[in-house]
Amino acid sequence: MILLIINIIYYSIIYAFIGFSFFCIYNTSKYLHFTHAISLTFGAYITYFISIQLNLPLVVAIPISVLLGIGLMLLVNQYIYKPLQIRNIKNWQMLIASLGVYIVLQNIISILWGDSTLSFRTWPVKQGHPFYGAYITDVQIITILVSIGLLVIIWGFLEKTNIGQKIKAVSSNPELSNLLGISKDKAVVWSFILGSGFAACAGILIGADTDMTPTMGFNWFLYAVVAMIIGGMGKMHYLFLGAILLASAQLLSAYYIDSKWMNSTAFIILILFLYFKPYGFSGIRIKKVEI
Amino acid sequence: MDYILHLAILICIYTILAQSLSLVAGNSGQTSLAQAGFYGIGAYTTALLTVNFGLPVFLTLLLAMVLSGLIAYIVSKAAIKTIDDYYIIITLGIQVVIFSIMNNWQAVTRGPLGIPGIPSIEVFSFAFDDKISFLLLSVFFVCSVWFILHNISTSPFGRVLRALSEDEVYTKSLGKDVQNAKIVSFVISSMFASIAGVLYAHYISYIDPTSFNIDESIFILSIVIIGGMRNLRGIFFAAFILVLLPEVLRFIGMPSSIAPNMRQIIYGLALILVIYQMGQKQETNKRVSNANV
Repeated sequence: MILLIINIIYYSIIYAFIGFSFFCIYNTSKYLHFTHAISLTFGAYITYFISIQLNLPLVVAIPISVLLGIGLMLLVNQYIYKPLQIRNIKNWQMLIASLGVYIVLQNIISILWGDSTLSFRTWPVKQGHPFYGAYITDVQIITILVSIGLLVIIWGFLEKTNIGQKIKAVSSNPELSNLLGISKDKAVVWSFILGSGFAACAGILIGADTDMTPTMGFNWFLYAVVAMIIGGMGKMHYLFLGAILLASAQLLSAYYIDSKWMNSTAFIILILFLYFKPYGFSGIRIKKVEI
Repeated sequence: MDYILHLAILICIYTILAQSLSLVAGNSGQTSLAQAGFYGIGAYTTALLTVNFGLPVFLTLLLAMVLSGLIAYIVSKAAIKTIDDYYIIITLGIQVVIFSIMNNWQAVTRGPLGIPGIPSIEVFSFAFDDKISFLLLSVFFVCSVWFILHNISTSPFGRVLRALSEDEVYTKSLGKDVQNAKIVSFVISSMFASIAGVLYAHYISYIDPTSFNIDESIFILSIVIIGGMRNLRGIFFAAFILVLLPEVLRFIGMPSSIAPNMRQIIYGLALILVIYQMGQKQETNKRVSNANV
């Protein structure tokens, strides 16, 4: 039972973390950017490449892979999304285009590193620390602490700094902030830097805990999006609420029925939510539902 | 020669799938990623009924269409509440749920093991068990689906769908039942997708869930997008090209280890380029309409 609670906490923090990193980008650019899933995978794979294949310590590998992840997403934004947006295309078309980018990049990763599962874990797998009758591994503790730390940093960045305020301004009203001389492009670039960097961190943390495959980002990303939609497009605590609900529903279904139904539980919750409570927890009205 | 016939049958099946999706994605502008799910429902319904109960195929075809129409009706009730990218996410969810039912409900579907030994289609004691006759049968289905979809899209109902894809609120203000039109188009589209599933199951005679996963949905959607959304003939040619693409890659000597990845990369790139092209078209349209004003 304690193990279940630990797992719920662990999963909901990861969902909240990925969801928030995605939310940064979604809020300013306003389209579901599927390539975000590749930030997770890419971060983990570059860490693998540097720490295992080049034999450098993890301390070097992690910052480099985060930076490379940010660089990749900035390139995608600059050379694919921007030319598309100039053409004034609709949201769902952006989504399909980003799905195309996702497919291309994911298959490049498959070609480079193969489809089999890899791991950059060099330390032995330990049983973990006993914790009220359950066990919690080092990696899980690190993940929880680092995620909370980074979430606080990201929150502080958005609330306290000038750039964060600009990002918020652009996300709440692009036209007005354009009139006031806040460049939308710059805000989008900053949100991409923030979002992709944190997603790469999340990918590394996930890669350290479980092993990695080229498609690993997709599921985590989808869960995070589900958590975001359930939470509604509101503030951070609604996202947390969504993540906790999603994680507990998934793990309870895994605990009482079978772990293979975790996937469908997430989406059944999403469908039920969109049917009965289409604005999520936050109740903020968005144009996407109930037109 | 046998292999060419095999490819021709696959082209027919994908043409049915993509053209039926174009009713939802092209005409009513609701891009669905659940098509492979309904394809799978068709295949599994007919496989289970013929293998376990020995029902005749035309009956299982009807039952498959009714079942997938019913499921489509239920899920579209939830899906039509959303638009745009949320719609894609919710149909993606429907696809994942259907796939995991096929994959995990092992008592009925045998899970990843799949269902072997599906008999070939038999009509009035004539068995469609060789490739030429099966190809003729699939061409028959392609033609009828094409004919029906063409008639739907030129009918008043098709015009309602196109109107709502342009401007939903405006269409509603003209007194058209937008919600109903969306549900009906989704149901029709998934019923046709289940026809393709029935054909596939009886043709391959063995099915497993991996033929109906999310990649398949993305593949069908990319056929529709590359073919030109509402353009049924274009979709047929796109199905033709995308089904033959792996063969072309093999022909130019791509090593088989990276060939599936290269195929995916090519259609990913094609998706981006086509979307890019769509944007241009809309821009010129807008300029024309501004000039008219």
